[in-house]
Amino acid sequence: MIKLACPSCGAEVKFQSKASVFAVCSFCKSTLVRQDMNLDVLGKMSDLQDDLTPLQLGTQGQYDGRQFELIGRLKIAYSDGYWNEWYTLFGGEETGWLAEAQGFYAVCFQLETPGLYLPPAKRIKPGLTIDLEPAGTFLVEDARDVFCIYSEGELPINAAQGRESFSVDLAGPKDQMATVEYAENSDRIYIGSYQDFDTFNFRNLRTIDGW
Amino acid sequence: MAGKSQTPDSTGGPSGAKPSAKTFSCTNCGASVTIRYPGQAMSVACESCHSVLDVTHRNYQILSKYGAETSGYSPLLALGARGKLFGRPWEVIGYMVREDVASGFSWDEYLLFNPYYGYRWLTHTKGHFNFVTPIKKKPQTSQSYKFNSPECAILDDLNYRLYYRGQASVLFVLGEFYWRVKANSAVAMEDYICPPKMLSSEADEKEINWSVSEYVEPAVIREAFKSDDPSLKRLPLGIAPNQPNKAASAWKTMKWLWMMFLVICTGIEIVHVAGSASKELLDFNYTYVPNTKSADITTPVFTAFKEKANLSLSFKTQVDNSWYYVSGELVNNKTGETYPFERSIEYYHGYDSDGSWSEGSLESQLLFSGIPGGQYYLNLDMESGSFKDSNPRTLLLTVRRDVPTYVNYFLSLFFLSVLPCMYWWSSRSFEVARWSDSDYTPYPSSSDSD
Repeated sequence: MIKLACPSCGAEVKFQSKASVFAVCSFCKSTLVRQDMNLDVLGKMSDLQDDLTPLQLGTQGQYDGRQFELIGRLKIAYSDGYWNEWYTLFGGEETGWLAEAQGFYAVCFQLETPGLYLPPAKRIKPGLTIDLEPAGTFLVEDARDVFCIYSEGELPINAAQGRESFSVDLAGPKDQMATVEYAENSDRIYIGSYQDFDTFNFRNLRTIDGW
Repeated sequence: MAGKSQTPDSTGGPSGAKPSAKTFSCTNCGASVTIRYPGQAMSVACESCHSVLDVTHRNYQILSKYGAETSGYSPLLALGARGKLFGRPWEVIGYMVREDVASGFSWDEYLLFNPYYGYRWLTHTKGHFNFVTPIKKKPQTSQSYKFNSPECAILDDLNYRLYYRGQASVLFVLGEFYWRVKANSAVAMEDYICPPKMLSSEADEKEINWSVSEYVEPAVIREAFKSDDPSLKRLPLGIAPNQPNKAASAWKTMKWLWMMFLVICTGIEIVHVAGSASKELLDFNYTYVPNTKSADITTPVFTAFKEKANLSLSFKTQVDNSWYYVSGELVNNKTGETYPFERSIEYYHGYDSDGSWSEGSLESQLLFSGIPGGQYYLNLDMESGSFKDSNPRTLLLTVRRDVPTYVNYFLSLFFLSVLPCMYWWSSRSFEVARWSDSDYTPYPSSSDSD
């Protein structure tokens, strides 16, 4: 774990994952970019309104026999709604994502296949199939322009408010799902599967009044 | 944080709280509109003028207006009502009336929300309820390539059969929704059934959404929402597409028992028949003159072997539009115990306007069961009548011991089959009724020309 001081307010900023390059100071909400042991202030994260999620930073759970903890979050908006992508540390080492929307929960990991051909974003439309070897052939379900409206904790990407990308949801063999994110500098592929809420045995969930 | 696993039922804890309900003025009529769960709702219906408003829009843009004529709908479960279904608590946050565009048939849908588990639907049609869970898995659908093969959808190794295909549109809305509800825009719907479950798809030009429904008894809804609405006490009308067929499940379990009994009975009968000695004890001929009263006769003594077994008598003679009558008794030579009997042999035949006819036979049989072993003889008294001539004829009498019998077997089969047949029949009638509202019924009615 790397511990640095927020250049803006001096509060401690933790990086549990070495892959994290971005953080939001939990105290002063400064958005920070990390370069090695150096932190630069990018700006400030404005408060989030109308947030209704049962998860929060520090929520722990189990997946595939391993403990995990949520260490960062992106809240993504598109024309018809929102979803959350929680940056997750599995077994204290590996990182992945827990995507959460409308009571659906999907665990996914980045697919590292250099040289994998992706069709250009402009050509993507529902019904198209994409080979994501070795995971298999996936079917595009929908594709849309999205932007980041909020982030907190630590993240492996620069996730300032307003960050735009083109997000494609795909369905694959054996109940797999995939998300391809076409962003300014790089395209990322995530592959995973939907899981039932109860299978995670969550701890330290956010409390929701009246529930 | 080595705490206990947290369930959504637990309360307390330092962190977070739900965003409080939000209130604003309706863009259309100015009445106060409340959003219970801001952050999830995309559209909300004004309870006063029934306009649907876009929650994400800065000025709460009107998505659609519903006319006054549609305001007559009232939900059975009030917005904000909570109930525990399938082990989890749910809150009613939306209500919709939808209709099948082609037939005008309408039904109610309640949107249920739980911040941990997301959304479910409760649909209501004529007293029947379905608990609907949206799913991300994509069922495999099979088109009917072959003539007459039913269209199916397969999910988790369950085969669902196509029941409904049509267009559905929204007639009326109340409450809030996680998408932008649009009036008068029909979506393509399909229902596939595998009672008590149902698979449904809804498709618009952008996406296909699948859901799995499970049939819920009205009493369960009444209990869950603590509702004393009288319409929840009425019996549901007709049979719902995925209503469980109770007779079918009874028939299913009974079928195996029944088949087992059939096999056992048949096995016993086979053993019984194979074990029958069927031995002839006496072959007795008696010559008589027809149309006269003959003298009483006594047969020679014969020995019935085995401690206990049946004894069969067979009488044969050449009757021809005439009758022959025997009365007599089987007598135990030692104990004097008697077994009386009477038998007539009749055979009539002829021609009438329908052609030739006949009734009766040249033979008559008689079975005594459980006759103890020992020495026996028969006392016989015969009469004959209506013979055309008086030429002497012969009566052939055969006595057999331990003959195979079938009566008990067939009686057992019959009685064992009554109940299973009734269940089978009522199960089938249920299925015929279930499919009577479907265009895809496997039970075509004979009166239907198409």
